[in-house]
Amino acid sequence: MRQLTAFMRKEWLESVRTGKVTILLLLFIGFGILNPAIAKLTPRLLTLMSESLSETGLSVSAVKVDALTSWAQFYKNAPLGLIVFLLVFSGTLTNEYLKGTLINLVTKGLRRWKIIASKGIVLAAFWTAGYWLCYVVTYGYNAYFWDNGAAAHLFFSAFCFYALGIWLISLILAMSAFFGSGSGVMLGVGGSFLIVYLLGLLPRIAEYLPAYLLNASNLTTGNGQPADYAAAIAVTSVWIVLNVVLAVLRFNRKLL
Amino acid sequence: MNMLTLSHVCKSFGGRPVVDDLSFSVKPHTIFGFIGQNGAGKTTTMKMILGLLAADRGNIEVNGEQVAFGRTRTNRHIGYLSDVPEFYGFMTPGEYLELCGKIARMAPSQARSKSAELLKLVGLDGADTRIQGFSRGMKQRLGMAQALLNDPPLLICDEPTSSLDPLGRKEILELMLLAKNRTTVVFSTHILSDVERICDEAAFLHQGRIIRGGTLEEIRAARREDGPELEVEFYSAADAERFKARFSAARMFSLSGVRLEAQDEEAVPGILEMLARERLPVRRFERLEPTLEDLFAEMVRG
Repeated sequence: MRQLTAFMRKEWLESVRTGKVTILLLLFIGFGILNPAIAKLTPRLLTLMSESLSETGLSVSAVKVDALTSWAQFYKNAPLGLIVFLLVFSGTLTNEYLKGTLINLVTKGLRRWKIIASKGIVLAAFWTAGYWLCYVVTYGYNAYFWDNGAAAHLFFSAFCFYALGIWLISLILAMSAFFGSGSGVMLGVGGSFLIVYLLGLLPRIAEYLPAYLLNASNLTTGNGQPADYAAAIAVTSVWIVLNVVLAVLRFNRKLL
Repeated sequence: MNMLTLSHVCKSFGGRPVVDDLSFSVKPHTIFGFIGQNGAGKTTTMKMILGLLAADRGNIEVNGEQVAFGRTRTNRHIGYLSDVPEFYGFMTPGEYLELCGKIARMAPSQARSKSAELLKLVGLDGADTRIQGFSRGMKQRLGMAQALLNDPPLLICDEPTSSLDPLGRKEILELMLLAKNRTTVVFSTHILSDVERICDEAAFLHQGRIIRGGTLEEIRAARREDGPELEVEFYSAADAERFKARFSAARMFSLSGVRLEAQDEEAVPGILEMLARERLPVRRFERLEPTLEDLFAEMVRG
């Protein structure tokens, strides 16, 4: 346990001192504010543009915005946040291979599975904190300006995207155990996601795939039921566990 | 019991043997020099001892325990210093040693006092800036502190001096000598003068095999079948020429210096007698000990 907490503390210190935590805070708080701000500004922008639009024959009638507009923004921006998050942390293991920093610690007796475990826990904690911070900020502004009651199954739909993030983090770990470079890991993670996404185009299996969780934002507008996503969540959970197990097994044989 | 034993260890990369049926053992509290050219298989051997690389065949034991690839159990007996040790640049030396102490499962109070003691020993006790600004020599000294932190019975250093300037080299060699009181040291190098300075025993590795090993005395003795080599330096070139003319195998090594190989031990007094008889003033008369460099060059040439 001491090895695990010591290595996790090192991960935390690294993220603070190399500015990663600052980037994440700015990113997620920024998006959290941006979501309602865009919703709030949309009518004004359209009014400002209405004159030039009417010259082209388009007429702008009164635009109605509410919490749903802001939540729609949330689901537009969340993937962007996730991509930046993955880019920032994709080198979490490969940077250590590159510099050879793990050798000292492994030769001091650090169990290899604890490296994977610490990295996984810290990354998941950062994603949890960042993503839900963004959610809370958006939720707060929405409650102030409008009424969150307009959106259905808010927490559950947000949870679905959160789970997708955890799945991608577990993919980073698994890919890092196979590849030696950061670009290899990004290609592996990106490629895996693309394959899963394309497989999702087949109606028969779509609802069993992690990529299906992207559709959970439809729940907020009253389309579908949480139960529709049960299969995808179950498959994603099992897949996360498999990724971590695979990462540990492969990393045990990895040349450092 | 030996601190380290390798028996019939083999390792090849892509069909090319790098370590070929390697066997040797290291006794406790010795400094063992592992000598070879670049690519002789030194680093590969050390990585196998540390469980960082799998051996194709053979057996490695550290302190009586068998080493297994990918596991780190036997590493609790080992302190390791690589040729260019890498640390987390965002940490201070104190923080790094604290991390190492926790990983080596030391009691916090013990880790603290030990790390303070070692930082003092390696001359980094005043340096509480981040490691990213450290020079190579400073990193190497921190590496030494890190390697000795948990009082390992075996210290393995992979070419610890090869990337350092002369002053840095001297410091690391002195640290290794100091470490000998507490631990057994195995260090690889291609700098033979380092071996002569601090090693008790050595093994010459060539193309993955040990071509000669033992105490430094034994290694040198293997060459003593030949007559002793002498170097005689005179005050003038003319005297040197006169002296040289007497010996067919003699050759000049400088303007006024002659090098020659005596037939055997008995021939040496005869040469001194001749110098006295001819009244040749000698600036220096020296019997050359074979350097490890000479021995190594001979052995490698086969």
